Amino acid sequence: MTTLTRRQLLKASGTAGLVLGAPAILRAQSKEPIPIGTLCPLTGAGGSYGPDMQRAVVAVVERINKAGGINGRPVALFHEDDQTNAEAGVRAARKLIDVNKVVAIVSTWASAVTLAVKPLCVEAKVFLIGVSGADAVTQGDHKGYIARTQPNTNLQGRMYAKFAISKKEWKRVAYVALQTPYAVSFGDAFTGVLKAAGVTITDNFIYEDKKPSYRSEVTRVIATNPDLIMLEGYTPDSVVMAKDLYKAGYKGAILGPTFAINAKFIEGAGGDVAEGIWSMDRAPLFDSPAYKEFSAAVPRGDQSPYAPQAWDQMSLVALALAAGKGEVSGTVIKDNLRAVSNPPGTVVYSFADGAKLLAEGKKINYEGASGSCDFDQIGDILSAPFSVQQVRKGKSEPVMIINP
Amino acid sequence: MPPIAQYVFNGLVTGGILALPAIAFSLLWRLLRFPNFAVSTYLTVGAYVALALNHGLRAPIALAWLGALAGTGAVALAVDRIAFRPMRDRRPFSLAIASIGVAFVLENVVRFVWGNDFRSYDVPVTRAMSAAGLRIGRDQMLILGVAVVLMALAQAFLLKSRLGIAMRATADNPLLAAVKGVPTERVIAAATFGGGALAGGAGVFLGFDASIDPLMGAGLIISVFAAAILGGVGSAPGALCGALIVGIVEEAGTMLIPPTYKTAIGFAIILVVLLVRPTGLAGARA
Repeated sequence: MTTLTRRQLLKASGTAGLVLGAPAILRAQSKEPIPIGTLCPLTGAGGSYGPDMQRAVVAVVERINKAGGINGRPVALFHEDDQTNAEAGVRAARKLIDVNKVVAIVSTWASAVTLAVKPLCVEAKVFLIGVSGADAVTQGDHKGYIARTQPNTNLQGRMYAKFAISKKEWKRVAYVALQTPYAVSFGDAFTGVLKAAGVTITDNFIYEDKKPSYRSEVTRVIATNPDLIMLEGYTPDSVVMAKDLYKAGYKGAILGPTFAINAKFIEGAGGDVAEGIWSMDRAPLFDSPAYKEFSAAVPRGDQSPYAPQAWDQMSLVALALAAGKGEVSGTVIKDNLRAVSNPPGTVVYSFADGAKLLAEGKKINYEGASGSCDFDQIGDILSAPFSVQQVRKGKSEPVMIINP
Repeated sequence: MPPIAQYVFNGLVTGGILALPAIAFSLLWRLLRFPNFAVSTYLTVGAYVALALNHGLRAPIALAWLGALAGTGAVALAVDRIAFRPMRDRRPFSLAIASIGVAFVLENVVRFVWGNDFRSYDVPVTRAMSAAGLRIGRDQMLILGVAVVLMALAQAFLLKSRLGIAMRATADNPLLAAVKGVPTERVIAAATFGGGALAGGAGVFLGFDASIDPLMGAGLIISVFAAAILGGVGSAPGALCGALIVGIVEEAGTMLIPPTYKTAIGFAIILVVLLVRPTGLAGARA
């Protein structure tokens, strides 16, 4: 066994430091790969979504490198698993930032992870883009290093309300939500739009998780005689709530998020209870050429609401770097993100097309697989299509798309 | 505004489910002189034992329920042998902490075997009957009925049977009972098995009424604790009354305060009882 003396270690790390610390301009002229990290949930509660997201990112990078890389430099990906756990996420992000020296981390999923990793990225000037929904993700002074392709809860609430208004028979609506960081902000947006449209909000309350039954909550909401109950929960409590509503004889409509009203919900609540329940979630832009390229490149990608977003995140990061004219850093990405994603500019649907126009000195506007990918000042997307589903004969069937 | 009777009925069902672990918790506390916080996790164990029988062996739910009584009793007995018996002469505080450890271990064994997802029994969900503006579910009536019968049996056992009398004697004065020839360890074993069975049975009710997940029992600990304190530690009828009151106050409280604060009601009850009448409702007689 060879032992490294402290002096040898000092020398070695000093040399490494010199090389890595050399001015970026010097290194930029080489063909050195650009390090970018993925931090998807491969295990844990998000484990059914992370692998597809990672596959989407890999597919984009293969295309970038085939097209000659970003300003001649290939992309090197480093993958870490955040385990859908903030602590594991922070450890993995530290490794990506300190060891792999990534300039961007793409495709975080859980809000808790994104929020935990956020200060590390801002401090190290590493660009972070994920699919987390909590409003806090883009709040605070993050200097532009944070963005996301998932709508914030305000946009979600407004889109749910838009669908509810389109159903003319829903004149009386109750909002019932599990206690979560987004329950109030979602509810305010949802009930606000409905009230403005003349719909009566019959009841509006937040309930606690892990209660043996929700009989009294159900008694309370049914007494207000709603046509629609907007049930904003997760799967386990939604099952108990829906069962108690059914037992109590409620015959009106129920609407919830698709991540709660899923196959597991139908199995847990039973076909009779689940039948007819509506659900909504962010949809990809099915007609977009970017979506067609995505679904051809990523097997089973169309099954995941997040994989198209991961596809767009990697494409946006690469385009923003391409607009940087050879300089490579997280700061370049955040400074150029809106220039390549928002109008004005020629609409492009892929990195290859965008990079060509950028090289000619033209302005571009990336339209992705998940949506038009236009960002506001704090890093939230401005609009997104939503899909409406309904449980029919024991299966959640797509019914329509609500466009912004 | 829905009739207050509906809330009271809802509270009775919740209280009926709570009463079983509350009685077990209260009696075991009196007998072994420490609050066994693992009791609420026995609910989880019971629910999963019944799930294994109901899903795995396709046993009807009634049979699965009986299996859960025996299975959870056996688990409680094993826990006592492994964890609590070697610590019998320690301070109550050490044992209470050990019981929290046991709760964690049991919960994670359940997780390891069945996973983290929630489950449901293979039983149809039925609409409630409506009588005089009051909605009464068939399942809820069944749960309440069986819970009452089970509690009556437990009380009769304590008052009439030799083992029950020995149990009460040991609870009152373990040293004197031992001197008089009461087989203390056998009495403790019987009480532990019985307590586990009661809690396990309640777990099946809970899973039947709502859904089954590894944290279902742990979420009830405050309510169970409140019911036992309110009833007066060591009294079975006291624990029953305590559980019904906690159940009704928790449910009816939904009318006045936001449902988010349901758990706070349990805490408030504990606080008020400890301040005003630390011996609980049945305290004078116990």
